[in-house]
Amino acid sequence: MAFGLIKYGLSPRYPGKRFLSRQPELKSSYDVVIIGGGGHGLACAYYLAKNHGVKNVAVLEKGYIGGGNTGRNTAIIRSNYLTPEGVAFYDESVRLFQGLSEDLDFNILYSERGHFTLAHTDAAMRTSRWRAEVNKHLGVNSEVVDREDLKRLVPSLNLSEDVRYPIMGALYHPPGAIARHDAVAWGYAGRAAEMGIEIHQGTEVTGLEIEDGRITGVVTNRGRVACGKAMQAVAGLSGVMANMAGFKLPIKTVPLQACVSMPLKPFLDPIIVSGSLHVYISQSSRGELVMGGSTDPYPRYQTRSTLDFIEGLMAHILELFPFLADVPILRQWAGMTDMTPDFSPVMGETPVKNYYIDSGWGTWGFKATPVCGKRMAETIATGRVPALLQPFRLSRFEEYSLVGEKGAASVGH
Amino acid sequence: MALNPSTLPARSFLYRELQKFGAVFGEVNGYASAMTVGADAAAEAAQARSLGLCDLSALKRIGFKGWATAEWLTSQGVTLEDAPNRVYPQGDGARVARLSKGEFVVLGDLEGRSTLPDRLGGAWSMASANGCFRVPREDASAWLTLTGAEGGAMFAKVCGVDLRPHKFPNNGIAQTSLARMNAIIMRADRGNTLAYDLVFDLASAVYLWGALLDAMAEFGGKPVGLDAIKALG
Amino acid sequence: MKIINCPLNGPRNAQEFVHGGEFVAMPDPHRSSDAEWSSFVFLENNTAGVVREWWCHVPTAYWFIAERDTIKDEFIRTYDPSEVFRERVEFAKPPAQGS
Repeated sequence: MAFGLIKYGLSPRYPGKRFLSRQPELKSSYDVVIIGGGGHGLACAYYLAKNHGVKNVAVLEKGYIGGGNTGRNTAIIRSNYLTPEGVAFYDESVRLFQGLSEDLDFNILYSERGHFTLAHTDAAMRTSRWRAEVNKHLGVNSEVVDREDLKRLVPSLNLSEDVRYPIMGALYHPPGAIARHDAVAWGYAGRAAEMGIEIHQGTEVTGLEIEDGRITGVVTNRGRVACGKAMQAVAGLSGVMANMAGFKLPIKTVPLQACVSMPLKPFLDPIIVSGSLHVYISQSSRGELVMGGSTDPYPRYQTRSTLDFIEGLMAHILELFPFLADVPILRQWAGMTDMTPDFSPVMGETPVKNYYIDSGWGTWGFKATPVCGKRMAETIATGRVPALLQPFRLSRFEEYSLVGEKGAASVGH
Repeated sequence: MALNPSTLPARSFLYRELQKFGAVFGEVNGYASAMTVGADAAAEAAQARSLGLCDLSALKRIGFKGWATAEWLTSQGVTLEDAPNRVYPQGDGARVARLSKGEFVVLGDLEGRSTLPDRLGGAWSMASANGCFRVPREDASAWLTLTGAEGGAMFAKVCGVDLRPHKFPNNGIAQTSLARMNAIIMRADRGNTLAYDLVFDLASAVYLWGALLDAMAEFGGKPVGLDAIKALG
Repeated sequence: MKIINCPLNGPRNAQEFVHGGEFVAMPDPHRSSDAEWSSFVFLENNTAGVVREWWCHVPTAYWFIAERDTIKDEFIRTYDPSEVFRERVEFAKPPAQGS
């Protein structure tokens, strides 16, 4: 076996293949410039080329692709939201995710696990029922389960009543899944590049050129680039980019931390979330427990880990899984999130003509990667915002027409 | 003659906790209050000098806040200085804790000699005290005192502020998180014994009582009655 | 644990504080347009760099102003709001309904 691998490795008949072709020189002009080479930006580039034949596109990434929040999230995919607008939107994303490995011909390790949002109070049970009804109405598989169901479906869960917040039931969402988040970025990048999209890593946008309220170009550390249209997909730094474009966003940049344990034998198939305890936990295909909680208590542009976070998180994790007490934490990290007042994204048009935005991806962005890519590509290519994205327009704040997903989008509340 | 606390209309939130330790109750200001905890008065006094926790919720207290509160209190004969987070002892045994520029708690004394809390309560009215409002400390705040030489070390377990006696002066105030609860901590030495008054949300009295006793156990700390605190001087 | 210097209480653990949002002037609620008011309520400068904000020390319910660097996560200065507000902020009476 090992010798076989070495033989293939040395054989000219099996040459090594670069995943992305060598980075080209930056051209002086593109039809579309996408600022930000995370999952969202790369997916948008992919669908621009695939669905709309728009291929004169550059993706500009100041670091490396997928090096921001794409590689920092906890990779949960689900559509059991609260508002009809949210459910319809995330449902399309889940459906795209389900076929994504095949579509990209690249294994994103999509793993359907089932997703439980635990309820520890009467109010949480009521919200679970509400979400289940909205979900079912829109054809999304969600139902409320009781303690007996939980005992059967999640045998490792501590259902004792002798804890601070005993579990009363849960919202069960069978399509809930996890995937390899870097693979999603790489898959989109690889296929987009094959279709002629240019991906420029190490290319930082330092300014925007706007004439008569219309985007005409971007300034980068590698020179100026003219463009017909541009989109920013720079979660965490959305406000900084918007500032360059001359408008304000309803977004605070707040760090969100997560961590993984050492790998364990598989014992936890589903994804477990508790809003009351501010935790979520799943077991990766490598066996690591991937755990997260609420955002940091105040905004800042920083990705430093804190002891406060891990202490608070573990106190709650151990209430759900007491037998994990001796399991070491292997890694802890943080990403900078775009927190919005209504826990929904901000997408579509901006006050600058031909300058589009994909932002406000607080703690719920990874699961929306395919739908954002597809629908933002449609927006850019056709110049029309599809109905699916309309509820998330920036102008909804001025219209006092918010899409309240607090509680369904996040555990920090 | 032991008093059954449930025969009085007013009793501390902690009376059941104190009963578990064998407290003997007496009446203070119409409240059932634990006078002794345990049979041996001398041992209890010694306990208070090393590490004791006593419920003072029966004692008089009253609160005021507002931009003109300092002026109103001064007009009522209260002696004050400008610095906040200080306790200002009054001549008659009452103490006035200045929590900020405009917020105050007036604490009665152990023996009930001071008439200040009652006098202020009677003098105050919405109409007469412009810019000064009542804070119902007597109904909203529990009051414990933690006494004894081990107090400074014990607090290090449950509080982020350094309350050791060489860092935290007598009559100093720390408004901070105590065992994860908001509390006003006032150093209030009794005689030669280190002591701290704790004023905090009444509804969480049972929680904080238990949390403090748990933290005190390592140092041999125990509940004591009002008589043992009086004996400290 | 991060330490924040409270103007009233001195240095305290960050857990005792709540972030209260950007320090921005409130527009006249009766005379601002929907756009001005929604901008005040929802939109953020979200500056990467030095910002001026409201903070509250929870055990004392004491609100103060902090200047903070959001990139370095450092508090530069904290001070009592009386440094900024010398007198009460008053808005003119609302216009009569229907006028």
